[in-house]
This record gives sequence, C-alpha cells and structure tokens, in this order.
Amino acid sequence: MKQNTFDSPVTLQMVLEALAFATDAPVSAKEVCRVYAEVVGEANLPSEAAVEEALEELNGSYEIGGHTMRIQYWAGGLRMTTTESVAPFLEAFFRRERRRHLTKPLMETLAIVAYKQPATKAEIDAVRGVDSGYALRKLLELNLLAIFGRAEIIGRPMLYATTERFLEEFGLKNLDELPNLRQAEELLGDAAFNEERTRLFMARGLEMGDGDPSSTSSESTSKT
Amino acid sequence: MYRVQLQDFEGPLDLLLLLINRNEIDIFDIPIAQITNEYLSYVELIEAIDLDGVAEFIYFAALLISIKARMLLPSPEQDEEGEPIDPRQEIVERLLEYVQYKNAAETLDEQFKQRSLLFTRGEASTPVQSMMSEEEILVKRTVFDLIDTLRDVLENAPEEPSITITPQKYSIPEQCEYIREAVFTQEQVSFGSMVSGKTRYFIVVTFLAALEMAYSGEIFVSSSPAGDDFVIERAAGPTITG
Repeated sequence: MKQNTFDSPVTLQMVLEALAFATDAPVSAKEVCRVYAEVVGEANLPSEAAVEEALEELNGSYEIGGHTMRIQYWAGGLRMTTTESVAPFLEAFFRRERRRHLTKPLMETLAIVAYKQPATKAEIDAVRGVDSGYALRKLLELNLLAIFGRAEIIGRPMLYATTERFLEEFGLKNLDELPNLRQAEELLGDAAFNEERTRLFMARGLEMGDGDPSSTSSESTSKT
Repeated sequence: MYRVQLQDFEGPLDLLLLLINRNEIDIFDIPIAQITNEYLSYVELIEAIDLDGVAEFIYFAALLISIKARMLLPSPEQDEEGEPIDPRQEIVERLLEYVQYKNAAETLDEQFKQRSLLFTRGEASTPVQSMMSEEEILVKRTVFDLIDTLRDVLENAPEEPSITITPQKYSIPEQCEYIREAVFTQEQVSFGSMVSGKTRYFIVVTFLAALEMAYSGEIFVSSSPAGDDFVIERAAGPTITG
C-alpha cells in the first residue's frame, strides 16, 4: 500500500518514534530506513544519519515537553528508555534492592579487554599483575565478553572481545564511543609529577602508550 | 578451610601505587631501596597470614630486588643511542599502564551506574537482577590499610605461652560467628576492641573472618580516621548465615 510521497504527513521522526514504541526489541537504524522507504517509496530511502538526526530532535522535543522517555541508540539498536530523573521511582516499583555492581577485578579486566581487544589472557594478566582467569570466566558468563578466536602465536591463546551486551550495559552505540583513555601523567596529578624529569625520561624512549582504539570518541554518555 | 583470595581485593601493582602515593614519590624516580623494603614488609605479612594469591606479590618482590641489584652495578645495558637504560624502566612502564586502565575501569564503572538508571521495556531490557549484587565488596579503603591495622595489633599482642601444643582452637566460621554476635549487639565495633588481649592466632583468624564477611557483603569494613584500627559495621539487608 503505497502512499503519495509528496503530501505524506508522516515524517521519519514519527516513524522512528512509532517503531521504538511498538517493538519491545531494539530496532536498527537501517530497519527504520527500510520500513520508511517501503511505505513512502524507495526513492525516499533515508540515510542512517537522517535517522540519528531525527533521534536527536525527538529526544530534544521530549526534553522540552518534560517527558520521561528517551530513545537511545545502544549497540546499534534503537530503543525507548526512561530518564535518569525518574530512576528512584522505577527502582521502588521494581523493588530493585541494590544497584548493579561489578567488582574491581571484573571492571579492570573488562576495561583492559574493551580498549585492547581482541586481547589474550596473558596481555590482561600483564597489565593487572595478577591472574585474571576467574574474572574472565565470570565476564564470559555474564556475556559481557566473548571468545573471538585464537591468536596466531605460539600456543594459539584465546582472544577475548567485548559483546553487544557490553555496549548495551554501558549505554554505548559502538566501541568508538568508549571514553578516551587518559594519559597516566594526567592521572598521577601534578604534585607527584616532575615535568622536567618526564621530558628526560621520554627522551630516553619511554613510551607512554596510548592504547585508545579511536580518536573520534567523546565522553558522551546517554542523553538525558 | 575457606581461603581468602587476596587478588579479589588488590594486586601487587596496587600495593606499589599505594606506597608511591603515600610517600609522595615521583614515579619516574622511585627510590627502589626504600620501596623494596616497604613492599617486602607487606609481603611478609601477607605470607604470614597465608592469603591466597601471594605468588604474584612474590614475583614483584623478586623484580624489585633485581632492579635494586642492577641499580648498584654500572649499567651494561644501553639503548640504541648508547644511553644507559634505567633498570627501573620496566616497572615504571607497567605502573603507568596499570594506572591508565585502573582509571578506565573507574570511568566505565561510572558509565555502568549511569546506564543502569535508565529503564527499558520488554526484550529491549536485559535481565538486570542476575548481575552480581551479591559480590559487592564493601571494604572502603584498601586491603593494605587492613593489613596495616593487623600489623599494629599483632605487635601489641601477647606472645603465646611457649611449650604448649594445642590444636587450632579457632576456625574462620567460628570467628565469623564471633563477629556476627558482636555486630548484632552493637551494630558497630572496632577490630582493635574485639581482639584486644587475645592471642596472635585468634587475631589472625578473626581478621580473615572479617575479610571473608566483607567479601560476602555481610559487613562493612572501614578504616578509623587515625588509620590504626578499623570499624566493622553490620551491612544493611538480609544477613547470609552459614
């Protein structure tokens, strides 16, 4: 059932909203485009960027209107969520007792894999200085990490990488959205830091190792 | 007997960073002799109370000692430009890398918490309850602060009377019960007061029991402001027995 494309009153924004509302599983931007074009005509196939733009506008209008839902774009899928401001009420309703929490060894292991992926257990152990076997098993169990294959080196060790579930749980669209790794100098603070000495040390060839996989990412989290 | 896993709390790099921060040391000019000695004093104690995961601490102890030895010798190692290589370089690189990922882990943790404030619908949501709340670790400062306390308390403990050979009188489950009773009646007790006048064996087993209970989320452990004792508090919520 094709509609006349020229006077169609339904915008991409509206289609996006309807799909995010009506489906209870994440919808990809591509699917939104496909569905839109199927109804209004292939000539009007929108770009994924247009979907993202519509998403921004929609969330902007929700915010202005004082609404408590937003559409998020996590792990490549669009879905509706509530805002942070009403979290206490939802927690009360769902009787969620304690906030979810990952232990320090799990979080460290996850962070190392996220930034170095694919990573072997040996690489992870080397950074942490302790055995990460338990943490890795636990993270596989939680489906935050998965085995990606085996490295083409002696022993063919398993390679670990983050999953879609990881992106979802951390509210990231893709891995480019991981916050930049901060330089160690910055983190150690100025007091304990002697700039002159650093320069000398650097000159001697100490690499500071910026393991950041992307240069385009920003510190943006979910928009609320 | 249940073994407390030290690496669930902190690793050798955490201990080194703690010593560096506490002494306000420039990470690029670590006084190896001083740090090695301090480090070893912790490792000795960790070994004495027989926590699991001590192997990794000993590995770093060996590394520190070898650096210390190399610092004393005229350096035969040179880089491509013929400059002598600082024997401390390896450990500095590892510390710097670790600091970076420790921070990344904190940032991600923050992101994780923020994200969990947003609720989704149906299949768009993930089964949240399954995630780990039972494994929350409630030790507020570091396990090394606790070890500091233990050392102080042990120094003041009376020696066991010699000759007598007694079977081990205390077990971790028994000491858990002891702590449970104490926090049940008082809600908040100091470790020092719980073990004052007791034998070393009693103190060590009670310490392990407290770590164990903090790990299972049953109690809160926080250092006293002076840092010479720590306070045990009953954690809110259902008590796990057994």
